[in-house]
Amino acid sequence: MRISLFVTCMNNVLYPDTGRAVVTVLERLGHQVDFIESQTCCGQMHLNAGYRPEGLSLARKVIDSFEDADVVVVPSGSCTSTMRHLWADVATDELDDGLVRASQEFAPKVFEFTELLVDVLGVTDVGATFERRVTYHPTCHSLRSIHVGDRPLALLRAVRGIDLIALPEFDQCCGFGGLFSLKNPDTSAAMGLDKIANVVATGADVLCASDNSCLTHLSTLAKKSSSLVPGYQSDSVHAQPNFEVKHIAEILASTTAGA
Amino acid sequence: MARTFAGAPDFPVGAKISLANPQLRSNMARATRTIREKRNLRVSELDTWEELRVAGESIKRTALARLHELLSTFEKNVTEAGGHVHWAVDAEHARRIVLEIVQATGTKDVVKIKSMTSVEIDLNSALEDAGITAYETDLAELIVQLGDDLPSHIVVPAIHRNRDEVRDIFKEHMGEWGLKAPDDLSNVPEDLARAARLHLRERFLASQVGISGANFLVAETGSVAIVESEGNGRMCLTLPNTLISLAGIDKVIPRFEDLDVFLQVLPRSATGERMNPYNSIWTGVTKGDGPQNFHVVLIDNGRSSALDDRVGRDALRCIRCAACLNVCPVYERVGGHAYGSVYPGPIGAVLTPQLNHVTSDHVAQSLPYASTLCGACFDACPVRIDIPKLLVHLRGEVVDAKRSFVPTTQEQVGMRAASWIFARSSRLRGVADLGAKSSGVLQGRRISLPGWLSGWSKFRTVPIPSRVSFATWWHKERGVQGESRVSSRRREFRHKNARIEPHALGIRRDIAPDATLNQANARDAILSAIRHANRAQAEQPPISRSYRRAAREETIDIIEHFEERVSDYQATVRLTTSEDLASAVSTALSSRQSTSVVVPSGVPREWLSSFAGTVVTDDSTLDLKSINAVDAVVTGCTAGIAETGTVILNSDSNEGRRVITLIPDHHVVVIRAEQIVPDVPDVIARLDPARPLTWISGPSATSDIELSRVEGVHGPRKLDVIIVRE
Repeated sequence: MRISLFVTCMNNVLYPDTGRAVVTVLERLGHQVDFIESQTCCGQMHLNAGYRPEGLSLARKVIDSFEDADVVVVPSGSCTSTMRHLWADVATDELDDGLVRASQEFAPKVFEFTELLVDVLGVTDVGATFERRVTYHPTCHSLRSIHVGDRPLALLRAVRGIDLIALPEFDQCCGFGGLFSLKNPDTSAAMGLDKIANVVATGADVLCASDNSCLTHLSTLAKKSSSLVPGYQSDSVHAQPNFEVKHIAEILASTTAGA
Repeated sequence: MARTFAGAPDFPVGAKISLANPQLRSNMARATRTIREKRNLRVSELDTWEELRVAGESIKRTALARLHELLSTFEKNVTEAGGHVHWAVDAEHARRIVLEIVQATGTKDVVKIKSMTSVEIDLNSALEDAGITAYETDLAELIVQLGDDLPSHIVVPAIHRNRDEVRDIFKEHMGEWGLKAPDDLSNVPEDLARAARLHLRERFLASQVGISGANFLVAETGSVAIVESEGNGRMCLTLPNTLISLAGIDKVIPRFEDLDVFLQVLPRSATGERMNPYNSIWTGVTKGDGPQNFHVVLIDNGRSSALDDRVGRDALRCIRCAACLNVCPVYERVGGHAYGSVYPGPIGAVLTPQLNHVTSDHVAQSLPYASTLCGACFDACPVRIDIPKLLVHLRGEVVDAKRSFVPTTQEQVGMRAASWIFARSSRLRGVADLGAKSSGVLQGRRISLPGWLSGWSKFRTVPIPSRVSFATWWHKERGVQGESRVSSRRREFRHKNARIEPHALGIRRDIAPDATLNQANARDAILSAIRHANRAQAEQPPISRSYRRAAREETIDIIEHFEERVSDYQATVRLTTSEDLASAVSTALSSRQSTSVVVPSGVPREWLSSFAGTVVTDDSTLDLKSINAVDAVVTGCTAGIAETGTVILNSDSNEGRRVITLIPDHHVVVIRAEQIVPDVPDVIARLDPARPLTWISGPSATSDIELSRVEGVHGPRKLDVIIVRE
């Protein structure tokens, strides 16, 4: 199958390893991946912040760029949600019937990475090995907007050598929320620190998710403010976080013990 | 002077203040967790839950689309049933109407049921200014009033207080308002509830005017429904001779049968109960029973203009259950006061900016951003309000209201720069490469971002761009494809950068406040604004009643089911035959040490033939003092609901005036097996909406202190149900 990668602007600039991991997994499964170089951003930031025309012009650009694509894979729950729901909602709000239709026609070919693997390609064992203790945080958009359910967990369970620990209060938001993290830094940090405390409680050394945005919030928060997490330093001298964050694609791409 | 939300800081500042209060955070975390678990348990018992949500949404959609017609019908039916309907365009107007009614009675104090609408119009301040004391009777509102505090939750206004704080407030301030609290008052919720019962009992018995909100207004019958737990509601709705019910115009529903959806979803969503202890449903005035002077004040106060917003109008479906507050991770952390508005939490963040106008003040403008859009609120909402979608819409309104040709704020500059960069992949690659070049230099440094971006670096390190972006890597490794391939394609859909219709708030038709407003022109102004807002409303699809299938009926013995559910509420259930009824009644009375009993005139004398104590028959002339002096009341009932453990009284001769089942501390209800139906939808057709209906599910109770349920507040603290099966 020919699969077009929408890598997302954030992964493009900050996390190219996530993009490469998606390519690795899909090629290992025998599929052809293409990367349409005119792609930039799905417009989520502008749309969620209230900048409707700006966000919608980015939506149009994505739809244009991927016009020829049969299947679009997105390594992000929130960007998938944007493409599947938010474009049409905001276009409706802006009375742009043409874009509403174009968004609705485009939506069925967009899949979040774990959805693509499980639903479209029909696999849960992608031939990965990752011998570390891992916990999974279901990001809000993947959980409640696009409803990926236990697909990511099914994929992780099939990874050889993995020690997968359930995250307490997994369905609680991490506090990132895009612009929320800037406009309401105190509340965002309070929520994030509670999430970090739950991650610490699992004893996992890797926290994974389907969204690097939430993971960035948590890892950068842990680096600077970990001293504020209750119990975080109680049994050790760690001033730095003792877990690292990884996009789920990077775990699924791993074939060595996992570095 | 009663406190108000006027002058509150915007959300980020309010949140920061709340976050610095560890007591508040631990109270909120405990309370919201408790209520979430209770709600999930009760919701999971229903296999029709999603169908009920769809029906709830659909009924409210229909009601809003037909609002003009339904309000007129409601008005006509209330008037025909002996009540009075008033129309208030805004808060000031509503206050004036209430004040005139109260002043006409000559009383100097009123008793109130918790009503968010009353807080919305700041009624207590207006009453106070006129020398009239408003006594809040709901336990949580009492805590708020005694503590000179503000409500922080729609259903449990004192959710931010724990039991120690409540005890201290009672001990310190009860005496200023009436009977003082016992000196040795403990922090045990049962004791606190008892203190409230004693404090307010005399007040209820002496009250001349009661003021309530309303949960539902039924257009086709002119009925008003109020759900509550403590019995303070029943007191206020039954004892005073004058009753004023305040209701937003969004509270109307088309049909009496629609209650079978809302009376299932509201209690489960609000307090995590199958049914709250008391529902009162009445229509106009009933001679000899309850207030003889009944007024409904229909309040617009921004609702008709919210209705004129194609997206925002969905917020008017809200039934004020507060389920969205209880699941909101932001609300849980910061509590209700941080929202600086009467309606806090997710629903407040979409209602307040619409009722107060997004452009009006900095608080309203900050509220649509007081959410991470995590979506938990939408999943919990029993009428399926897509709150995240509404928040995004309102953010658009805020942004548009501030737009200018040249960006003036840092946010506007940043957003414009981002759209310029994202407009072409070459620009994004250029920026990424620039970032990549600086990557080595930035690595390991502590970076503080300036201005608007400092919100990020305040608590977090700054992520460093990768040395090679994905696009650059791909370009080098995999060669060119894509960009050129697509750029020649024709774009099939219409491009549009200009906005078609500036549907920002500027074009809203607001009703101008007018000192010369009278009933006639207020009514016309509100109805004409509603008609205008509904000008483009399509015919609503019929409401799906699929939730009415009774799957459990065949497999479950409904009498056993009823017994089990009534017992769940700490009520006692006895199964007997008509032959042994008199001895069952006598046992029920003596087991609770009740030695005197009042009975309505229609109760057969044989029921009490084995009872040795005093029996007083109510011929509808017994005064309150005499009723207050007896230990118990024995009545029949109209129907029972197995699933929810509910008995329903319709105040006929076998059940008596509402007051006699309310004041005595012990209620013995006799129900015949054939009066018991499986579930709420089955009972609606058996009820006569013209009668005053009282639904009773267990003894009076409250969850207002730390959301832990305590039996026994203002209504009867002891309930015995005797099932007669031949």
